[in-house]
Amino acid sequence: MKYFHLPSECSESAAKTLGVSLEPEIVTETRNIIGFWGYPEPAVMEEHKKLYPKAKWIDLDIDFGNPPDKNRSKALPEAYCKIIKNIFDNAFHMRENIIKIIAPVGKDKCDSAFFAASILKEEGFDVQTTVFEQTALRKPTPLCKSAIPLRKKIEMITDSIVNGTENHPKFAPCEPRFGFWGVPPNDLSLLELFPDNTHAYGWIRCVEAGVPADLELEMQIDPDVPTVFFAQTFCAKNQPAKYLADKYNGLYIDVDGYVNESVKAKIEAFLQLR
Amino acid sequence: MSSFYLDAGTTWSKILEVKEDGKRTYSVLHSCDLPEEREYIKTTGHRAKGLKTRGHVNEIVALSKGSQECLGNNGVILDLGSRDAKWVKYKNGKFSDMDWNSACGSATGATVEMLLKFYDIKAEQLSPQDEKYSITCGIFAMEKIMDDISKGIPADIAISKFIHGLAFNAFKFTKEPQELLLSGGFCENKCFMDSLNKYCNALPLGRFVLVDGLLY
Repeated sequence: MKYFHLPSECSESAAKTLGVSLEPEIVTETRNIIGFWGYPEPAVMEEHKKLYPKAKWIDLDIDFGNPPDKNRSKALPEAYCKIIKNIFDNAFHMRENIIKIIAPVGKDKCDSAFFAASILKEEGFDVQTTVFEQTALRKPTPLCKSAIPLRKKIEMITDSIVNGTENHPKFAPCEPRFGFWGVPPNDLSLLELFPDNTHAYGWIRCVEAGVPADLELEMQIDPDVPTVFFAQTFCAKNQPAKYLADKYNGLYIDVDGYVNESVKAKIEAFLQLR
Repeated sequence: MSSFYLDAGTTWSKILEVKEDGKRTYSVLHSCDLPEEREYIKTTGHRAKGLKTRGHVNEIVALSKGSQECLGNNGVILDLGSRDAKWVKYKNGKFSDMDWNSACGSATGATVEMLLKFYDIKAEQLSPQDEKYSITCGIFAMEKIMDDISKGIPADIAISKFIHGLAFNAFKFTKEPQELLLSGGFCENKCFMDSLNKYCNALPLGRFVLVDGLLY
């Protein structure tokens, strides 16, 4: 029988099924977090949900307000993508609680995450990389087309990565007045500037469709809908954001960290004048 | 009783007073000297927040509305302020495009004012230069000015090269239009206007375009 480093949250039945045994000396009450980022390969998530049924799943992409960790500066320059900074800060801040990090490193995430996975592994985290690049099975995207507030839309979509959509009510589609293209911003308050009849496009729609690496879907928008194209500063997605904004006469914005008054004013003007 | 409208810029505030008989009076005041007790019908600009107003208007919206008559169906207007630059484009009578650069404000009006003050030069002394500094970063541009001056180039020539770079940036920032309407204090700076006219047909609308936009 193999010995695995499994904490107390690992179900005994799952351990039996997998033919593994708990190693008693590392079992603690506090190690109860599965960290992840992006959209991990669903089969890998399911496997770990069975293995650790009581574990909390924490999206390390999110800005929880954890202070900059000194370990982060060993790997990242100060001028760097805020989402990757969050991953490092969160991982080191919760280090004692993290059982494992499920780390997407394919086209469904980015090269920065690929390197982050490698560095975090070298720093002693248990990291399992995943690649989720299937594009054949696109699911419907009712949340992206719904009339619920844009921030809520995006929070529900990201939440569904781990929790699924079974508990979602049915959403009626609305006619889009505006569009928001991009990824969930570090500062979600940016989304509160938009009216509820804003459709979501870009990577966030790919996530709802279950195809986070589907570049073809990511590049599709409604040409007649005035759209704000957003990318986090220092992210490679600035390239399609800028290109699409130029092509479809939208508004391109990049934000490093938090939304300042000027960016807000720029979006407000776009929404008022278009 | 008069009604007051205010465009409170970072350095200068532009005030429009509309008397009961509809007569309009325009004035310019240092933003630090704005009377706090006055209530405005509408305001726009960075420095207006905190003042008494019945409504605050987004600066690009004010620029757009204030310039609509001059823009006609097709045109681009750029407002070049103390610390930022913003432009609006109309196509076929409809809003078409815009941008607002507020991240690197070091290469705009406030910098020119500081340079003129520091070297004790009047704006009228400046003459357009064929050469220009690259001023994507204002700090690097300042370094160039100081380098040139230390090599013996007169300060007015160095500042004029800086202004040429600023005009070139304005042209590129607005996506290289054939004709460019200009709003803001630079309308009164001949060196800047002549430099901008090297690249496009630049038409000055003066300093009160935004405050006029508050009337709509």
